[in-house]
Parts: sequence; structure tokens; C-alpha cells
Amino acid sequence: MIDYVVQQSLNALSFGAEYALIALGLAIVFSIMGLVNFAHGEVIAIGGYCMMVMAAIAFRNPIVIIIGAIFASVIMAVFLERIAFRPVRYADATTGLLTAFGVSLILQNLFLLLVSPRPIAVTSMYFLDWPIKLGSIRISSLQIFETVATLLAILFLVLFLKRSFLGIAMRAASLDFEMVRLMGIRANRVIATAFAISGLLAGIAAIFIIARRGAVDPTLGFNPVLKAFVACVVGGFGSLTGAVLGGFLLGALEVGMLVILPQSYGGMKDAFVFAVIAIILVWRPEGILSPQKEKGDKI
Amino acid sequence: MNIFQSSKSFKQAFWGATLLSVVIASIGVFVIFFGERYHLRLVYAAYVNLLVVLGLQVFMGNTNITNLSHSAFMGLGAYIAAICVTPIQIKKLSLPDAPWGLNAFELDALSSALISLTLTGFLAFLTGLVIVRLSGIGATIVTIAILVIVHSIFMHRTDIFKGKQAFFGIPQVFDLSSIIMISIFVIFVARFFRESKWGIQLRASSDDEKSADAMGVNIFKLRLVAWTLGGLILALSGICYAYYLGTISARPFYFSHVFLTLAMLILGGMRSITGAVIGTILITFGLEGVRFMETGPTILGLKFPEMLGLSGIALGAVIVIIMVVRNGGLVGNFEIEQLFIKTRKNI
Repeated sequence: MIDYVVQQSLNALSFGAEYALIALGLAIVFSIMGLVNFAHGEVIAIGGYCMMVMAAIAFRNPIVIIIGAIFASVIMAVFLERIAFRPVRYADATTGLLTAFGVSLILQNLFLLLVSPRPIAVTSMYFLDWPIKLGSIRISSLQIFETVATLLAILFLVLFLKRSFLGIAMRAASLDFEMVRLMGIRANRVIATAFAISGLLAGIAAIFIIARRGAVDPTLGFNPVLKAFVACVVGGFGSLTGAVLGGFLLGALEVGMLVILPQSYGGMKDAFVFAVIAIILVWRPEGILSPQKEKGDKI
Repeated sequence: MNIFQSSKSFKQAFWGATLLSVVIASIGVFVIFFGERYHLRLVYAAYVNLLVVLGLQVFMGNTNITNLSHSAFMGLGAYIAAICVTPIQIKKLSLPDAPWGLNAFELDALSSALISLTLTGFLAFLTGLVIVRLSGIGATIVTIAILVIVHSIFMHRTDIFKGKQAFFGIPQVFDLSSIIMISIFVIFVARFFRESKWGIQLRASSDDEKSADAMGVNIFKLRLVAWTLGGLILALSGICYAYYLGTISARPFYFSHVFLTLAMLILGGMRSITGAVIGTILITFGLEGVRFMETGPTILGLKFPEMLGLSGIALGAVIVIIMVVRNGGLVGNFEIEQLFIKTRKNI
């Protein structure tokens, strides 16, 4: 019994790690420019397609492929900011959200048009995945890698935000962007950095998603990002800690649902998870760790 | 007419809706007389989309909160009506293990539609209680949650909804002329709501929530009214869909349809009914052209390659370009009667 609990907790941890990784990428962009970046999923997909291309043109070394995929995601995120999101930077949240939807739609269909609507096998990440037995607990190495990578990413992100000049500027920008600009820091640089970081996190997520699924298709990133959004909202949109918390909470919820629900309801896992999320939002409309909003209430 | 602020706004709403109805009806009548059989089907689908866009406009246009669950409510409307109206013999065949005796009764088309409207409206009201309490982004995410929940129920309760397979045997109740009439009715409803004092208060609150609140606008209540009314119109669109096609499946009530109708609303301008109608017309015609290119036609001796996904790219491009260049849509706050009636600067 205790083994079973440990086993499922480890599963929840690795599920949650993936969501937390993606949710962090969304939250860092949102906290600074208030943009709900639905095109994040396609940044992940670009990482996947890059792996496919690199494997096809005979790169054998997996390290090279990993670096290439992360690099591609970073470039893509920064590129999207430059061409699509810069013009709507100061517009309201709805405009930004719809723009991001449009971008996501364009990219998904470009993959469909230029590559293939069907999944394409990418096997170069399989080496990350082998079974490990700890006593009677069976886990895959991938779960460990994923959890560790997420924890490392969070650690580095915290260090970056607390110690580096740009990091401090970014934290300040999330509080008062105008003030940061008045201090002589370029808006473009702060925002481009935020997008680069979100691209980096997306690239890491892409590696693990590909390692687990072994194939890339146009909607590779869409569903994980949908979940990550939910994680962000539950955690409190715009709060980085909230994003991580929401991610792990969502992972725990998903695994919990798989354990509790009878087999025949397995397909409706998402419905139950989203329903629980909706209930949490009724209880706390702004998310669990939302930053205090100034809406005329006493601070 | 005490739902209106002044008789002027009633007059405006009335003439605006009448003019739009003339446009919509003449397109329909033209197709009825001159269209081929397959045109009728396409145009009928366009009218259903018009209803969806109008239903979406009632909430989104007045509150400026992005709603992405509209296809789910349309699907609910369609399925509930379909389950009620389909003859018992067919249901015994297609839904052999339906629970709660769903395959042991049948109703006439009108009562089925009324049941569908009541149930979907009630569900909209319940979800609305949650939605209206949330601020912009949170509300949008919950609408996505609704879409996902409804879709996965459609997909996995195959004993009721048939999932990916077709739910067949729905009698054909409507034809093109009936949906033209319904469209005109809905145009009037949506336009009257926009010009009513609730609509004006709602739009004021979407411009400046704090001030509207301070002026005594009951934002939550009004949003709930708009959301429920929108849900009812969406249910109606679903009923129209099911009552013509005869078969429905869960697939069309998901993200691709959400994006399609959203692009229609955004292109025209979501704050105005005229915009919603114009956007629907433009995208419907534009998309037919793009779909033609998608199949890889030969034009003037030039063979074009098959380009799957072109329509999605076009829709995405429409959304992005409109948002970047002119985020109020093509017409912004403009309504059609302003071509003819001199009005004070429109609110």
C-alpha cells in the first residue's frame, strides 16, 4: 500500500513538473507585459520539429540535438515577440490574448502545410527513458530527469531574477513597467529577455514531451499549454510561485483522478480535473497566490 | 419601452436591425432562387454560424471578455434537441445502451427545441454564476475549461452522444427559409439587447469597470444576463444545426469551430451587430475561396499544389492583422443605421 502511494506521488511529481515548466514560461511573460501567450505551445512544437530535422540530417549526438531544440525554441519565442506581440504590447489583455490565438492558429497550420498533418517519429530522445526499480517501486528515468530538470530550471530562474541586473529589472517591470523605463532600462530588452526565458523553458519541455511521445505533430504543444494555463490561473496569474504551485497541483489532481476514477471513466479525466479547477476558482476567483490587485480596496 | 434609455435608442435599434435583416434576407432569398442544391447546404451552415457569432457577440461584444466555450453550448443545444426529437426506432438502433430511458421516448420538434433551450439556458446560467465573478483572463480560462469538459463528455459518453461517430436519424425540420426567419429574430434580439439600458451599462462597465460600479451598475447581474442570453442564442444555433443536417457528431463543436466563429466576430468588430454580420459574410465567402485553393486547383493552366491548412492560416492571419492594425474590427462601434439616421456620437 505504501509503495503504491509513493509510486503515484512520484508520478504526480513528474506530471506536475512538466506543467510547472510550461506554466513558468507563460507566467514570466504575463507578469511583465500582461500577455496571455497561447502561442507558447507552438514554441514547444518548434523545438520538436527542430529535433526531427536535426535527426533527419544526420546529427547523431543527442546533446547537439538537445541544444539545437532549445536554441530553436528561444529564437522562435523572441521572433514571435518581435513580429506579432510588439505591436500589441500596450493594448488591453483581450487584444493580446486574441493575437496570441491567431499566431497559434497560423503556426499550427503552417506545420500542417509545410511538414505533415500526421505525427512524425522522433526517436533520438528515447535514450532518456529506461525503467528503474527501487525496491518494489517502478519508475522511469525520464520522470527523474524531468523533475530534476524542472527543479534546476526553477533554481536558476530564481537566481537570475534575484541576482542579475536584468533579472531585477524584470521583477521591477512586473510591478511598474513605466517606472523601470524611466530608470533608463530599455523596454525591448526586458521583454525580449522574458520571451527568451519562456522559449528556453519551452525548449526543455519539448525535449521531455518528445522523449515520452516519440513523435511530433502540429498540435504537440497545444494540450500541454492548455493545462499549463489552467495551472497558471489556479496558482494566480502573473505570480511565478503560483505557476509552479499550480503546475504541481494540477499534476497531483490528474494522477489523483486516474487513481480514483473507475477504468471506464478514464477518458473523462480531463473533464473532472477541469471541474475541480473551476470549483477552486469559485472559491478563489483570482487564483490561490494572486498578487494583490489595486481595485480601490484598502491595501 | 422601459427597457430602453430613450425612445431614440429604441428607434436606432429597430432601424438598424431592420436594415440588417433586409441584407440577410436578400442574400438568403437570392440563394433560394438561384442556388444549386449544394449551395443551399453551404449557405445554411453560414446562417448557423451567423447565429453563433450573434450569440457570441451578446456576451463578448458587451463585456469585452473573451469567450471560447460557445461551440460547447451550441453542441449542447444540438445534442439535447437531437436526443429528444429522434424517433424511438432509430434510437433503439443507434443508442442501444442509453441510460435513463433516453432511447424510449420521442417528442415533436417544438417541444424538443424548448427542452433544449431550457436545459442549455439553465446550464449557461449555472456556469455564468462562476464566469461573472472572475476577471478577464480567469474568465476566459474557465470558458476553455467548459469547452474541454463538454467536449470530453461528448466524446466519452458514447452511450448517449455517440462520440466521434455520427448521431443520425434526426428528422429534417428546418429549411433555408426557416433559418432566415430565425436569423432575423436573433438579429433583433441581439440589437435590442445592445441598445437596451443593460447593454449600455454593460459596455460602460467593460470600458471602465470601477466608474461603472461607482455609478451603481450591477456588473455581475448584467454579465450574467448577457451570458445566459448568449447561451440561449447558441443553443438555438445548435438546434438549427441539428434540425437541418440530420446527423451530428462531437467533432465540429471544438476548437476549430471556436476559432472560425471568433475570427468572424473579430473581423467585423465585436462591439457592433453590423460588425458581426459583416464579419460572418466576409469570412464565409473568403473561406470558400481559400478552400478552393487548398485543393490544388488549376487556374489559367497553372497547377497549384495541394495546400492543406491554408484556411487555418488565413483565419489566424485575419485575427492577428485585425488585432494589430485595427483592434476594434472593421467597423468598430459603427452600426448600419448610422448611414441613414443622423445620431449623436455613438456610445
